[in-house]
Amino acid sequence: MHIMEGFLPFEHALGWTIAATPFIAWGLQSIKKHLREKPEQRMLLGVAAAFSFTLSALKLPSVTGSCSHPTGVGLGALLFGPAAMVPVGLVVLLFQALLLAHGGLTTLGANLFSMAIVGPFVAAGLFRAGRALALPLSACVFAAAALGDLATYVTTAIQLAWAFPDPAGGFAGSLAKFGAIFAITQIPLAISEGLLTVLVVNALRRFNADELQKLPLFGQRGAKA
Amino acid sequence: MLIERAAYGNRWRSVSPAAKGLFALAGLLAALFSGSPATAATIAGLLMLASVLGAAVPLALYLRVATPALGFLALSSLSLLFSLSADATGNLSWQMAPNAAANIAAVSARSLAALAALLGLVLTTPLPDLIALLRRLRVPDVLLDLMVLCYRMLFVFSTAIEETRTAQAARLGYSTPRRSLNSLGLLAAGLSVQVWQRARALHLAAEARCGSGTLRFLTPQFQHAGRDTALAGLAGCLLLVIGACAR
Repeated sequence: MHIMEGFLPFEHALGWTIAATPFIAWGLQSIKKHLREKPEQRMLLGVAAAFSFTLSALKLPSVTGSCSHPTGVGLGALLFGPAAMVPVGLVVLLFQALLLAHGGLTTLGANLFSMAIVGPFVAAGLFRAGRALALPLSACVFAAAALGDLATYVTTAIQLAWAFPDPAGGFAGSLAKFGAIFAITQIPLAISEGLLTVLVVNALRRFNADELQKLPLFGQRGAKA
Repeated sequence: MLIERAAYGNRWRSVSPAAKGLFALAGLLAALFSGSPATAATIAGLLMLASVLGAAVPLALYLRVATPALGFLALSSLSLLFSLSADATGNLSWQMAPNAAANIAAVSARSLAALAALLGLVLTTPLPDLIALLRRLRVPDVLLDLMVLCYRMLFVFSTAIEETRTAQAARLGYSTPRRSLNSLGLLAAGLSVQVWQRARALHLAAEARCGSGTLRFLTPQFQHAGRDTALAGLAGCLLLVIGACAR
């Protein structure tokens, strides 16, 4: 759910960029540390960024009958971890702006915050919590992907409500307005993306259980479930 | 990708990316600081003319690239048209937002101007040139490596997606929404397996060439870079002055 180029006022664009900067620095630091131990991860992350970019261009059928593009927030967080998703998300969002004119440079910070920080961390956190409660793998994957998506939309709604408060209802009125619009359009998409992510993980378990087992968020219990 | 096609075949292809980046940055700042919708619309018009007349980007291609963003802007603006309010009994109702027209005009004109600045940059500058510019600006090597690899691999993945989708469609994989979702799941799973396979192959290839660190490439050289940057700076200042005059 991108905010388009120039849509946010200068103060908001700058503020979200500043808010996203420590996460980018932390993500880069985490990758650098990882690369010293496993140099082969350099190629993996670059290829993962290309995978996320091309995945976001696919048309996803929505449960309401319309279609949209998957965000890949949940799947990316499950496959590569939320820390890696910050720099990977930065590259993907930058490329979407530069190659597709989707999103923008002034709104990169705000889009990064919702799609590459909040979404992946919520998805990974829910997945870990679900596995800790010994819930079935498919339920954990669905909840992580669908609610990670929803968290992204809620963050975008907050960003827009903050930038454009309602003349009568203020921030709360505006948040209710954007929330109501997103509830109609994005909840069906989040459900679709949750289902899609379950299908992807099921296919990976069937054909590539070994690779899946090596992922930090899966491991022994994930592969056996 | 339409943007790529224009970026490699325009009149400003040999102009220094630093100059085009500076001009785009000035355009973005002028858009964000423009005092009125009319000023922002003027800046948008000037930036569009610079791309179409200056860089000789075909108008039809420019409009085709801009159309999805304009549609998105129309939808986004629509959300500012209405206001959700609660009455004394707590019932919520939709109504026209006060000053909606003025707000929408200001936001739309600013977005149009910023979009024109972005398009002016991306339609005249290939992505590898922009990555080289970011390297000069001392962006961390790890991030640049991700960009280089992403740029090279995204075409490989695009081809893989196209071929897989064609094969799935030929087997009626997209005949119903349910089958579409299932086919898409198999497609994404097949692609995600390729992520590891292709990364391993790239790592092996790099190791075979003693590559153990960052990925370095020759930096493209541009003639008259200093002159172009000075001209871009002047044109950028003009945009900023136009934006500031109406405040």
